[in-house]
Amino acid sequence: MAYVIAQPCVDIKDKACLEECPVDCIYEGPRKLYIQPDECVDCGACEPVCPVEAVFYEDDLPQELSAFRTADREVFDGLGLPGGARGHAPLAADHAVVDAVPAPSTT
Amino acid sequence: MTTEHEVRRPDRVIIRFAGDSGDGMQLTGDRFMAQTASFGNDLSTLPNFPAEIRAPAGTLPGVSSFQLHFADHDILTPGDAPNVLVAMNPAALKANIGDLPRGAEIIVNTDEFTKRALQKVGYDASPLEDGSLDGYRVHPVPLTTLTIEALKGFGLARKEAERSKNMFALGLLSWMYHRPTEGTETFLRRKFAKKPQIAAANIAAFRAGWNFGETTEDFAVSYEVAPAAKAFPTGTYRNISGNLALAYGLISASRQADLPLFLGSYPITPASDILHELSRHKNFGVRTFQAEDEIAGIGAALGAAFGGSLAVTTTSGPGVALKSETVGLAVSLELPLLVVDIQRGGPSTGLPTKTEQADLLQAMYGRNGEAPVPIVAPKTPADCFDAALEAARIALTYRTPVMLLSDGYLANGSEPWRIPDLEELPDLRVQFASGPNHTLDDGTEVFWPYKRDPRTLARPWAVPGTPGLEHRIGGIEKQDGTGNISYDPANHDFMVRTRQARIDGIEVPDLEVDDPHGAAILVLGWGSTYGPITAAVRRLRGAGDAIAQAHLRHLNPFPRNLGEVLARYDKVVVPEMNLGQLATLIRAKYLVDAHSYNQVNGMPFKAEQLATALKEAIDD
Amino acid sequence: MTDIGNGLLQLVPRAEARQSMKDFKSDQEVRWCPGCGDYAILAAVQGFMPELGLARENIVFVSGIGCSSRFPYYMNTYGMHSIHGRAPAIATGLATSRRDLSVWVVTGDGDALSIGGNHLIHALRRNVNLKILLFNNRIYGLTKGQYSPTSEVGKVTKSTPMGSLDAPFNPVSLAIGAEASFVARTIDSDRKHLTEVLRAAAEHPGTALVEIYQNCNIFNDGAFDALKDRQQAEETVIRLEHGQPIRFGAGLGKAVVRDPATGDLAVVTDTDENESRVLVHDAHAASPATAFALSRLADPDTLHRTPIGVFRSVERPVYDTLMADQLDVAHELLGKGDLGALLAGNDTWTVAG
Repeated sequence: MAYVIAQPCVDIKDKACLEECPVDCIYEGPRKLYIQPDECVDCGACEPVCPVEAVFYEDDLPQELSAFRTADREVFDGLGLPGGARGHAPLAADHAVVDAVPAPSTT
Repeated sequence: MTTEHEVRRPDRVIIRFAGDSGDGMQLTGDRFMAQTASFGNDLSTLPNFPAEIRAPAGTLPGVSSFQLHFADHDILTPGDAPNVLVAMNPAALKANIGDLPRGAEIIVNTDEFTKRALQKVGYDASPLEDGSLDGYRVHPVPLTTLTIEALKGFGLARKEAERSKNMFALGLLSWMYHRPTEGTETFLRRKFAKKPQIAAANIAAFRAGWNFGETTEDFAVSYEVAPAAKAFPTGTYRNISGNLALAYGLISASRQADLPLFLGSYPITPASDILHELSRHKNFGVRTFQAEDEIAGIGAALGAAFGGSLAVTTTSGPGVALKSETVGLAVSLELPLLVVDIQRGGPSTGLPTKTEQADLLQAMYGRNGEAPVPIVAPKTPADCFDAALEAARIALTYRTPVMLLSDGYLANGSEPWRIPDLEELPDLRVQFASGPNHTLDDGTEVFWPYKRDPRTLARPWAVPGTPGLEHRIGGIEKQDGTGNISYDPANHDFMVRTRQARIDGIEVPDLEVDDPHGAAILVLGWGSTYGPITAAVRRLRGAGDAIAQAHLRHLNPFPRNLGEVLARYDKVVVPEMNLGQLATLIRAKYLVDAHSYNQVNGMPFKAEQLATALKEAIDD
Repeated sequence: MTDIGNGLLQLVPRAEARQSMKDFKSDQEVRWCPGCGDYAILAAVQGFMPELGLARENIVFVSGIGCSSRFPYYMNTYGMHSIHGRAPAIATGLATSRRDLSVWVVTGDGDALSIGGNHLIHALRRNVNLKILLFNNRIYGLTKGQYSPTSEVGKVTKSTPMGSLDAPFNPVSLAIGAEASFVARTIDSDRKHLTEVLRAAAEHPGTALVEIYQNCNIFNDGAFDALKDRQQAEETVIRLEHGQPIRFGAGLGKAVVRDPATGDLAVVTDTDENESRVLVHDAHAASPATAFALSRLADPDTLHRTPIGVFRSVERPVYDTLMADQLDVAHELLGKGDLGALLAGNDTWTVAG
């Protein structure tokens, strides 16, 4: 169980949550931020500070965002426990569910 | 040389030994008591000593005394007025002479009646010479000199030899009252097993005292009080003090409940003897923990209760004040816990070595919030045994802290006790929770720590180590059933009322009323006033007055029939060693105009004084 | 699974099946403020417990009052949330009467060092088999922000608008002074270090005191930032490891040495010259003197030069064991208690009917 970051974050990456996270478990991907679920301590500090309301407790994820339930966990497959985002390079790639989100139209 | 002595046969005698607190008066009295008990008299004792271990020698505050009442029939109090006073120094004489009726015998240690010693307590002239003791039968005995002489061959320093003068006095009194002596000699040999020379010296002083009585013309009369064979039911008897009986009651409760006994305690007068006694019985599986303070004493006990021990904390009034918050936690956790309060004079430090009954309202109400606690009070020293078992029954059956209110008089006083057969002891076994006790709507079997027994309203006792019953409890209000934290107003209202209902519903025996003549007036007591009240009632009835008597052992809840009993009488008198605490409770609960009769001088009531007061109430 | 083999833990029954972190989470919703350091400690403890391999039903968490003292509600073990400051006393009664239990105390700086200071020091001197987790956030949280007995002098709070006047306790110094046999310090957000310290504490027979620096992000936010910020931490945190020279700083360029003149500890730049003087940490030293000196290294205001890790870990007789031994000896000497004989005593008489 952990908090997850869902679609509203994609291409926004406000990063207010990074400042709040007491255990430094929110990592940056190319288009979205990701919470390392085994490093997350469920404290919920990230949730209220997100300007686009992208952070949800895993169980509370709305139906329409359910595709994001496991994305944060899966993106760390093979990375293990990085041990803190500060000083860690951004993730090389996003999860497929993020890739599937259409890029914002540019005008 | 033998002298012909007159032997008189009174039906009862009251002796008071008085001396400096370093003179060994408590030991002397204790030995005389043991001799008297083994002779088969009924007896009752009143030790009275200062709080200071060694108050300045020869002063009035330093006087320590031991009063013993023994008879050929059953008696109830240590007696009002001594027939004999042993005064080891002028201070002891001055402090006690006021209690002596004219004609009483006084044995004084003349060696201590020096000019300086007399001045120290404000005697301008020696009372032995100025005629002020003319109304008494005074026996001047140079106790110190005689003792030193008797011990000449023992190679003891003068100071050391002097110390045995209390045994000389004991020997003299033993002769006067025909007491058996073997017990005391055995006792001295055992007590000084590692110092045989001292043992021999004490025995020699004891025998010298006996022989002095036998050979001195001054003691022309000796007394024989026949054994009180008819006063006692068949059985084997021993002498027992309240604190010892209470300690034995706790050990017995542990055995009858099949639970290990855990005592968490901090030393405090007059309760420490229970800690000492229980500490000697580790082979009964008794764990005693001398804590860093009163709060830790009860805290550790509560922790042990959570773990499945029969848990006890012992203290006196000031300690109860410190333990209050933890008693409240125990009320909230609904765990069995015995809180033993050996009441003493208050407030604050008060009179540590004197008796009082002024903690009743503290026991009843002295906590934050609605925190009802059952209260049990023994009525005599020996009754402390049964009261401890009864307090344990309530605690274990209803999963609640229980206050056991003894007092300094019961704690240190003693009386014969019929030793119970183990088969007579109540069965106190409890059932720990062992599995789920509730089924959720979806069919899941779960354990609810606050699901109650419908009869007793007690919650299950699930001790750590039981698989599947892991649960968390605490002092925050809990949801009915689940025990989870709940701030819900309706739930709190329900839980407060349920905790009260659990205590109100405790089954206690009906109050028995002793009323052979259909009296219009009832005297109602509780705790250690039983002896003096009963003695006073006997006197009144002997003089042809009708008076009913009832004595409360359960102060919370009261017996179911108490209201009905009170309503039967035109007048209810409540004698208490406080300013009317039981009377307050009675008046509030039953709207009865209970009359208080109070005394708070650190001493138990005297039967004569109570009889006078009750007579006034009858005639009023 | 680590094999934990000291004599006392062996008295506690082991779990039949392999456990996971999930097994130690209770069904209660955690209700600390979002971002509270307590979450990190809870996660670390729940994550560490399976490693102990003890039967869950034989583990008990006892707490006092304060934010941290809600901890037991969130552990799926036995637990008691007691009253302010008294957890060590209650846990003492439980641990001494039930040696088959693993008893943990969770407390805070106010709970353990202010209202419950007496119980803490006496538990430590007795060496009762308790593991005490002292969450130190240097503030009163639950009562909304008054200074605590570990707050720095001059702390401005609601109750001290002109600054607090009293000098703070150093919990590690206090524990060592109270004859503690195990004293360690760690930090809420350093899960790896916290877990290592918990492991050492669990293995220790007797009282183990673990001070955990814990951030209160509401009333004292950032109190330990000097130790958490990666750049700063290199200069501020001294990691104690038994048997290792005490070095810290960038490239471990600084070292702790003993001043030969005063016997005090000092920090020097590590050079070839003073290489031989560098203090080698000995947590098992019989004398508490060096451990105490290490506890005094940190600047209480800036937290510079703060040692973390196990300061002291020595074996000495455990109170509960001694108490149990006395019961055994009494059994041997006197035999199993005979109630009938006890009640009768030596001095009886008989009244015939």
